[in-house]
Amino acid sequence: MNQEYLLAAALSAVPRLGTRRLGAMLGVQTPSHAIEMLGGEAPSQPDIELMDAKLAKGSMSVTYIGAVDYPEILLNDVARPAVLFYRGDLQVLQQRRVGIVGTRSATAAGRYMASHLAYDLSEQGVAVVSGLARGVDAWAHKGVLLALDRESVSASESHCGQPIAVVASGLDMTYPKENADLWKFVAESGLLLTESPPGTMPEAFRFPLRNRILAALCELVVVIESHAKGGSMITVEEAQRRDITVMAVPGSPRSLSSAGTNLLLQQGCAPVVDATDVMVALGLDNRRNHPQVFDSRRTPSVQDQALIAHMRGEAVTLDQLLMRTSTDLVQTALALGRLESEGWVVNNAGWWEVLGMSCE
Amino acid sequence: MPNNAIAVSRRVMFGFRSITLVSHATSEKFCDVTTHCWSLPYTWAIMAFASVRSSTLLGVQGKEVDVEIHVGMGLPGFTIVGQPDEACRESRDRVRAALLSCDLPWPNRRITVNLATSVHERKGGAGLDVAIAIGLLIVQDVLPNEVAERFAFIAELGLDGTLRPVAGVVPLVAAINDRSVVVAQECECEARIAARNEVVCAQTLAHLVKCLMGEAQWTPAQRRTVMDAAPPSADMKDVRGQAAARQALEIAAAGAHHLLLVGPPGAGKSMLAQRMSSILPPLSNEEAVATTIIHSAAQSPLPPTGIITVPPFRAPHHSTSLVAMVGGGASTMRPGEISLATNGVLFLDELGEFAPTVLDALRQPLEDGVVRLARAKSSVTMPAKFLLVAATNPCPCGEGMPGVCVCDDSAKKRYLRRFSGPLLDRFDLRVAVSRPHVDELLTDTPAESSQVIATRVLRVRQIAMLRSGCLNSALSADLLDEFAPLTTEAAALLRYHLERGRLSGRGYHRIRRVARTIADLMSVSDHNNLQIDESHVATALALRVGVHPQLNGDKL
Repeated sequence: MNQEYLLAAALSAVPRLGTRRLGAMLGVQTPSHAIEMLGGEAPSQPDIELMDAKLAKGSMSVTYIGAVDYPEILLNDVARPAVLFYRGDLQVLQQRRVGIVGTRSATAAGRYMASHLAYDLSEQGVAVVSGLARGVDAWAHKGVLLALDRESVSASESHCGQPIAVVASGLDMTYPKENADLWKFVAESGLLLTESPPGTMPEAFRFPLRNRILAALCELVVVIESHAKGGSMITVEEAQRRDITVMAVPGSPRSLSSAGTNLLLQQGCAPVVDATDVMVALGLDNRRNHPQVFDSRRTPSVQDQALIAHMRGEAVTLDQLLMRTSTDLVQTALALGRLESEGWVVNNAGWWEVLGMSCE
Repeated sequence: MPNNAIAVSRRVMFGFRSITLVSHATSEKFCDVTTHCWSLPYTWAIMAFASVRSSTLLGVQGKEVDVEIHVGMGLPGFTIVGQPDEACRESRDRVRAALLSCDLPWPNRRITVNLATSVHERKGGAGLDVAIAIGLLIVQDVLPNEVAERFAFIAELGLDGTLRPVAGVVPLVAAINDRSVVVAQECECEARIAARNEVVCAQTLAHLVKCLMGEAQWTPAQRRTVMDAAPPSADMKDVRGQAAARQALEIAAAGAHHLLLVGPPGAGKSMLAQRMSSILPPLSNEEAVATTIIHSAAQSPLPPTGIITVPPFRAPHHSTSLVAMVGGGASTMRPGEISLATNGVLFLDELGEFAPTVLDALRQPLEDGVVRLARAKSSVTMPAKFLLVAATNPCPCGEGMPGVCVCDDSAKKRYLRRFSGPLLDRFDLRVAVSRPHVDELLTDTPAESSQVIATRVLRVRQIAMLRSGCLNSALSADLLDEFAPLTTEAAALLRYHLERGRLSGRGYHRIRRVARTIADLMSVSDHNNLQIDESHVATALALRVGVHPQLNGDKL
């Protein structure tokens, strides 16, 4: 690796040298000059060698503010990160980019929306940016994974949108652990990046900082589901600071998981019902595309559709469903069994939810 | 005194030591004891042995005990041998005080009492008091020896000589085979429940002696007004809404399927569970006797009629210890909550708050219907055939509803880890209960009453017993093939769930048993058509939701 890049990486690991101060230094001088300037505070030779070993071990690449390959979109950002560690290809950032964010405790409908929206966007060549957290973030990238899988050509020939993930911890500290496969997938077929040097733990204060980079990388942010407060709303604030369009998926007014998104819609943010809304907002012409919605599920019968209509909007228990439909238990159970095996509804610990927005 | 001379000579022969010994005691006692000594008939020294029948308790079973009494030469004293427990050992003081209070003679000799049973186990309880006292009287020739052959004695003695009731009188009396039983007056009613022979009662030891001599009448049996068992106060008609949970309760009662209610606080889980016993049919005679025996052995209060006719409802608090739940503890091996719930309902509210060891201890009794307790000194088998109803919150915040619940997946997982998979698998019915809608709460029309449901439950239970000789939840796999064959559609539906890994092998059979009960409840007249169709299986599946959150809420 180029010595300057290595020095920048070592500088980012210096304690009490924040990203703003380091950014200011690297904006005007090379890392080697910065080290000379720091004097006693500068990383020692063993520190630099250790960093080199870590980077090699994790096959991580580095870029910094003054470097030629530093992403252009971040260069003019208000809170640009001084040094970026990444795996994958920075060229992915040349694609159209849409952020998909949301709560970690998403409903089944929210997870479904995240993955399907990501799938559709990726199929039309839009890169999906997310944070690889539990819930919505993970399911968005699972959608991209499926889109790339379906295309079954090598990443270079693909015209699918590729996955971009911004994480809070060091790239060698997978968090949460259950998303380890997704980390690998994103690093191999897209871009996985962070401003934290290797070995950094996923401390709580790093997540809002991560969200600012995530927002800065997007052209447009879609919030699938969000509580009234939380990480997704921080991302939204960061996006609004940068004049980036925010769109939100409407949800049931009674669902706390949609409280944040509904609040955004109330404030005048544009709603998202499917990928077309996002494509239009990006100014991409998709009129030539055949209706891309391919649903393998068999269309339910009229009675079953009526049952689905009763389940719209929020999760219901069997009790509530029986009261709403005023049919007997056996008929409802049969219908639920049919709908579940077709994939129209899903049962989560006793709560039934409808998947997918429409079944006309 | 006519026998003065004899008495004097006897005092010379045996009495020396006793006089010197008791001279340390108070003068009053001294006089008392010596007076009795003087008045003793001479023959007592020849008849120095007696054996009197009584019984002791181990677990929920009485065991016959022969109380052997030997009075002989030696330092005056009173020893009980044959592994007595503390209460038993204290009986020497009670017996002595009672005899003296009733003006009956006390032999100032070396007294040895042996508790002889077929098994070498620790004998407990105060129920042997009267048997020891009677034995001492026989030895002293106050009573003839035939008394011991005609009667068994099960009562405790007060210091004033009154006969007191003892715990577990029902199994204790049931253990006595071939003779009449003397009990305290207060527990006569209970004693008659399982008695094989006559039961008589007396008020005091003096009265008892007179009765045995034929000089007085036994205390007449108290005619207690036998009331019909009061209908349980909690009735299903008070339950508003909760359509699915009501059906689940009915199915659980009809087939004796274990039921888990999952829902947020205030949804009415506990209320529903408390109404379970109101829809169960009353106990049959054998069940009633068996249940009463257990409750008597555990010293839990019995109804005024003495016999338990309504299915018991036990709701132990979640701080219950392992021993309190399964039984054991003292040397008498007290029955635990699961035995007390036999033929009734065991309700565990806040299932997740119970200690995991307590919950896992339920697994074997749930399968076998009995609990086998083994200790170093004894091992007992106690019945534990209960209907388990449990209630729990779906997650730490209690809400559970996707979109409202604020718990993340890992918190939920941690919470649900408290109940082990094998235990959850044993619940045939797992129902999500939600808070009823305001309209439902305020409605005036009462729901179906417990009585109506109970008739349906009874009918299904009778059908099942006639058809297979057991309730539907007890059908074995081969009986299931015979009595609950699946239609093609039903089999396809089960296959779908099995292939998805949502049903275990055990779950598969449990679903089929529940489907059998549902089919029985639905079929009004035609009981020859045994086929289980898709609707029955679908209903059974809808009433057995996965408790663990499914994270693959997607076709992807």
